[in-house]
Amino acid sequence: MTDTLLTVRDLSLAVAHNHRKVVKAVSFDIAPGEIFGIVGESGSGKTLATRALISLLPPAIKVTGGSVLYKGRDVLAMKNRELRSLRGAEIGVVFQEPMTSLNPSMTIGRQLEEGLILHTKASPEERRARILDMLKRVGIRDPEGALTAYPHEFSGGMRQRIMLASVMLLKPALLIADEPTTALDAVIQRDVMELMVELTRAEGTAVLLISHDLPMVARYTSRIVVMEQGAIVEQGRTEDLLEAPQHAYTKKLLSSLPFRGEVRAIDMAKAPMVSARDIVVDYAGRKSLLRKGKAKRALHGVSIDIHEGEVVALVGGSGSGKTTLGRTIAGLVKESGGEIRFQGRARDADWTDYRLNCQMVFQDPYSSLDPRMTILALVEEALRLVPDLDAAAKRKRALETLEEVGLGADYAERYPHELSGGQRQRVAIARAIARRPRFLIADEPVSALDVTVRAQVLDLFSDLQRRYGFSCLFISHDLGVVEQVADRVVVMQDGRIIEQGDRDTIFDSPKEAYTRRLLSAIPALDQNERGGVTLKWRLEN
Amino acid sequence: MKKVSLNALIGGILIALLLATAALGLVWTPFDPMQLSFTARLAAPDASHLLGTDEFGRDVLSRLMVGARASVWIGLLTVGFATVCGTLIGLVSGCARGWVDGVIMAVNNALLAFPGILLALGLLAVFGANQYGIIFALGIAYTPSMARVVRGAVLSLREREFIEASRVMGNGELYTMARHILPNCLAPITVLATSMFGWAILSESALSFLGLGVPPPAPTWGNMLAAGRPFIEQAVWLGLFPGLCIALTLLGINLLGDALRDRLDPRMRGLK
Repeated sequence: MTDTLLTVRDLSLAVAHNHRKVVKAVSFDIAPGEIFGIVGESGSGKTLATRALISLLPPAIKVTGGSVLYKGRDVLAMKNRELRSLRGAEIGVVFQEPMTSLNPSMTIGRQLEEGLILHTKASPEERRARILDMLKRVGIRDPEGALTAYPHEFSGGMRQRIMLASVMLLKPALLIADEPTTALDAVIQRDVMELMVELTRAEGTAVLLISHDLPMVARYTSRIVVMEQGAIVEQGRTEDLLEAPQHAYTKKLLSSLPFRGEVRAIDMAKAPMVSARDIVVDYAGRKSLLRKGKAKRALHGVSIDIHEGEVVALVGGSGSGKTTLGRTIAGLVKESGGEIRFQGRARDADWTDYRLNCQMVFQDPYSSLDPRMTILALVEEALRLVPDLDAAAKRKRALETLEEVGLGADYAERYPHELSGGQRQRVAIARAIARRPRFLIADEPVSALDVTVRAQVLDLFSDLQRRYGFSCLFISHDLGVVEQVADRVVVMQDGRIIEQGDRDTIFDSPKEAYTRRLLSAIPALDQNERGGVTLKWRLEN
Repeated sequence: MKKVSLNALIGGILIALLLATAALGLVWTPFDPMQLSFTARLAAPDASHLLGTDEFGRDVLSRLMVGARASVWIGLLTVGFATVCGTLIGLVSGCARGWVDGVIMAVNNALLAFPGILLALGLLAVFGANQYGIIFALGIAYTPSMARVVRGAVLSLREREFIEASRVMGNGELYTMARHILPNCLAPITVLATSMFGWAILSESALSFLGLGVPPPAPTWGNMLAAGRPFIEQAVWLGLFPGLCIALTLLGINLLGDALRDRLDPRMRGLK
């Protein structure tokens, strides 16, 4: 056996109908058992390049040059028959979306068995034993029961474990993991990654890990390739690349990582701007003909204060109730108990005032803007109900606000679909601040954005927050971002607040085990003078 | 502005021809469409009767021109009726949800379970067989499918974040409905309305064929087709030309409808 498992030389891909190059002369090697990373933002060609390794390109993309050698055999020249015996058995793939990568109408047992039937000669009993063993290894609590269960009965993290089990059952020599944990929340992300590393190490499987998340890739890989616009800009040993980046783009990626923001003085003695007391929210259960289903309690009496000019981060895993709390305060969800006060008065006493002064930025810039309205109309609409402004003044304010978020007048007449994700989120922010609200609720405002765009939007947000001094409830599962923008951090789990305190206290000396688990998923960053960073991973205990 | 697609062009020409013919039929026809002539019964198309004559010697071209008006009128009004009623019901149902939605949809589904033509037949028996009876009956028969489509669109739109954003801005339910929900329902409404126009003309033909449509001697394409049936072996033009008119109109409407939907959608603008 040679000492490289996979050799990629000058791989080039182009769009078939207009010959636009999407991957440009990409070369790298992967050694047996190595964990190798490809990092890049959306549009960098990282996914297409790896699809080419197993000849799974979409029909619109054609290989225009280069070679892919797997154990000395040219993958690009293989016939379909050969490819089929290669895929799965030799090279396994774990995709990003655990919700759609398992067939929803097949039981887990049948799906796991498929690969074994196709690629091995194992008897049914043997197959069953191997599947049960693998399910146990990936941490499925009831492997016997899982065999006859369907994918929808499992959470995202569990599905990704099952996906991993189905791939690792065949003991492939190479595992391609394309954004395997991006759809999962931080804690589960780390669990799945640890499991992947443990399993592949035990089987001697090499891993090609593809992600936009540089710290995550750096944590597990020995070597990294950085891609930008279809080309490799830099590659090398992980530590070298992080600590002494050579290429400007790598430096930009590293400096776009969220670093801890400065400590700001917040007047905590004054009465809070927003005060929520003992909020209880129940979601009605499924109703049947004869009885009302049992209500599900999403929030168990939660209290939170936000002071003037303060950015309070609400963090927690999925299902922790952080989004529900934000939506309840915004008035989108009706609370079943508790009271919300705004500037010292009951919120419900004066909705007009509250609506004028409380705005929200949503997570998904693709669905939070009406596709049939122009950018200017979207921002102007936010001013519709503002008193004491005539039409001309509203237009002027809307244009000014667009200017402030970095979108000049030539964007005014465009439609949302003509804008990138980052630009759309700028529009969403413009719409929220056009009214000069006293209080802003931002629900995962940067989660859908690329690393460098995220950094720009966060800078914009901080600038505006300093300029207008609004208070903000910043909901996020990404503690890195929180570390950069928050003054105070509130940690939620299972519909309860389990810990809160100022940012430095929470990040440096967390008390609760769950907070420590959350923190162990993100690194502490130290920037050095060469534009590189050192990652320090916090211990769970 | 971008160039017009071939489909839109063909559709536009067909519909323009139809409307021009219908308009011309109001003021001038080659012959009096009601004029009987026993010397020219079932005459094949020739220089004087371009599309031939029917069993009473009436000029087919003249009757088609006059009939175009009736068919277009019935089609437009039926679709207009069904679209307005269906959209309103769908909007209310989708936005209100809860028991209101339950009741409306139960009635709606019951109506949907009836074949449209059967429902129209029953309603015609009540309203009487004339032009407006047909419009009313077909309109009611088509309303449920429009309501259903609109409700579906509303339900999926409601979950989108820009609807919530509108609520957070303090916009009222009615404003949100009119400004954000309705415009985003336009695509399915246009598609359904254009195909409904086709159904309406066909159903009018079918009802006339069954003798429940516009009563003779007033011509519509449908009753011309029906009246020509017994003579189809001797005089193929009696069935051919009204049939061709219906088919070309449907083609034109559908092509134009697709183009209209794309034009109404800002996301399709600027795409090559």
